[in-house]
Amino acid sequence: MGAISAFGEGAEALWSGLREGQSGIRPLRHERAADLRVRIAAQVPESFDPAAHFGERALPMLDRASQFALFAANEAIVQSGLDFAAGGLGGRTGVVVGTGVGGETTQDEQSRRLYAENATRLHPLTIVRLMINAPASQISMAHGLRGPSFAVASACASTNHAIAQAALMIRAGLIDVAVAGGTEACLSYGALRAWEAMRVLADDTCRPFSANRRGLVLGEGAGVFVLESMAHARARGAHILGVLAGVGMSADAGDIVAPDPAGSGSAMTQALADAGLSPEDIDYINAHGTGTPANDPTETRAIHAVFGAHAPKLAVSSTKSMHGHALGASGALELVAVLGALRDGVVPPTANLDVADPACDLDYVPNQPRALKVRAALSNSFAFGGLNAVLAVRAA
Amino acid sequence: MTEPQSIDAIRDQVFAIIAKQAKIDVATIRNDSTLKDLGVASLDAIEVIFDIEEHFDIHFPDQGTNFDTDTVQHLIDAVVAAQAAGGEGGAQ
Repeated sequence: MGAISAFGEGAEALWSGLREGQSGIRPLRHERAADLRVRIAAQVPESFDPAAHFGERALPMLDRASQFALFAANEAIVQSGLDFAAGGLGGRTGVVVGTGVGGETTQDEQSRRLYAENATRLHPLTIVRLMINAPASQISMAHGLRGPSFAVASACASTNHAIAQAALMIRAGLIDVAVAGGTEACLSYGALRAWEAMRVLADDTCRPFSANRRGLVLGEGAGVFVLESMAHARARGAHILGVLAGVGMSADAGDIVAPDPAGSGSAMTQALADAGLSPEDIDYINAHGTGTPANDPTETRAIHAVFGAHAPKLAVSSTKSMHGHALGASGALELVAVLGALRDGVVPPTANLDVADPACDLDYVPNQPRALKVRAALSNSFAFGGLNAVLAVRAA
Repeated sequence: MTEPQSIDAIRDQVFAIIAKQAKIDVATIRNDSTLKDLGVASLDAIEVIFDIEEHFDIHFPDQGTNFDTDTVQHLIDAVVAAQAAGGEGGAQ
C-alpha cells in the first residue's frame, strides 16, 4: 500500500498518525484564504515537493490529483515487489483509480485565466491534466500496466467502488493484478467556495459522532493498493497485508444529499454476504463518519440494523476526525487504517469525541487508540448522490 | 450600506422568496412555520437561505442554523440583525 495525506508522504506516516490519535487538521493554506470563510483543512504538507518525485517532462502533465495518485502507486508497487516487465505481467495488470473531482486544481486555475484574466489561450496540457481518468492513465504509463484501466467516480465512495471493480475483474479472471485506490486534490478556490455554500463545513475541527459536532473538514491525498488473486500472491510468496474478502455496493435511490440507512445497510449486508462472513465475525468498522448531523445518526442506525445484538460489541471509529474528508480518496486513506488495524491489533480512535449524543450510541473508540485483535473489518463509504460502497477485509 | 427596512417589508420579501422556492401560496406561510412544515427540505432549504442572503446582501452564520426546525420568524430576525449590523457578513 502507498499513501500521501495530511500526515505527509507514505502509508506508514498516515497509519502511525492515525494509530496515535493525532490530527492532520490545520489552518487552511491557500493564497486566497483571507477571502474564504472556511478556515481549516487536512492538507498534504507543504514539504511535499512534486519536483523531487516526478521528472521535468512528466510534471507539466500532472495535476495535483495525479501527483498524489502516482506518488501512492509508486510506493505501493515498490512495496509489492512485483516486476511488471517480467513474464508479461504488465498485460495482466489493470489500474482503477477513484476520484470525485479529478483535476480540479487545473480546472479552477485555467477557468480563472479564461474568465477573470480574459486569457485567449489556455495551457496546452489543460485537458490531459484535468480529465478524470488522468490519474489512472499516469499510473498505467509509468509502470507499463496494459490491462483494463479506468477511473471510477462516485464522490465520497469513489475509492471503494474502484477497489471493488478491481477485485471483481481479478475474480472474473480478466487480470491477475490490479493497482487500485483513490486520489483527491479538491482544495481549489472554486471548490472551497462551493463547499461553503453547502453549509456542511465545521469551523474548528471535525468531531464525528460527538453531540457538539459542527460538520466535516475537507482533506486531500491518495491511497493506492496492489491487489492480486490469492493464487498469484501465494505462487510468488508475496507478503500479504490483508484479504479483501468481499464488497457490497448499493444506491439509496432517494435524496441526493440526505443518506438513507436502508441503502448504507444494504451495502454492509452485501459486503458481509460476499465475504462469507457473519456479523459476529466483524470486530471493527471504519465508519464513513463525516461529522455531519445527516451522516452520523443515519450510519449508526444502519449499523444497528445490520449487526443487531452484535452492534454494541463492535469497535467503530471515524478516522476522518484526523485525516479529514478527502472525498473520493477517503476510502483509500481509511483502507490504510483498516490494514494497519488488522496488522497491529490496534483500532485507531475517533478524535474529538467528547460529548455523548443519544442518537449515536455505538462504541466509537473515543480519542485513544485501543488494542484489539481484529479478525475482520468493514470500511464504509457513502456518497452524495446516495451511492454506497463497503469493503470487507480480513486478516491475512 | 443599504438602509434598514421595516420588519413588515422584510417579512413580505422573505415570505415571497420562500413561496417562490417552495412553489406554495404565500398565504400558507406563517411566522411560526418551519421550512420543513412548508415542504422545503434539504437542498431546497439551502437554496432558500441562499436566495434570502442574495436578496438582502447578507450572510447567515454557517453554524447553528437548522433549516428543518428553524422558523420563518428566525429567518426574519436574522435578516433584521444582519441589516442592523451593516449588510454583508453582518450576521456572522
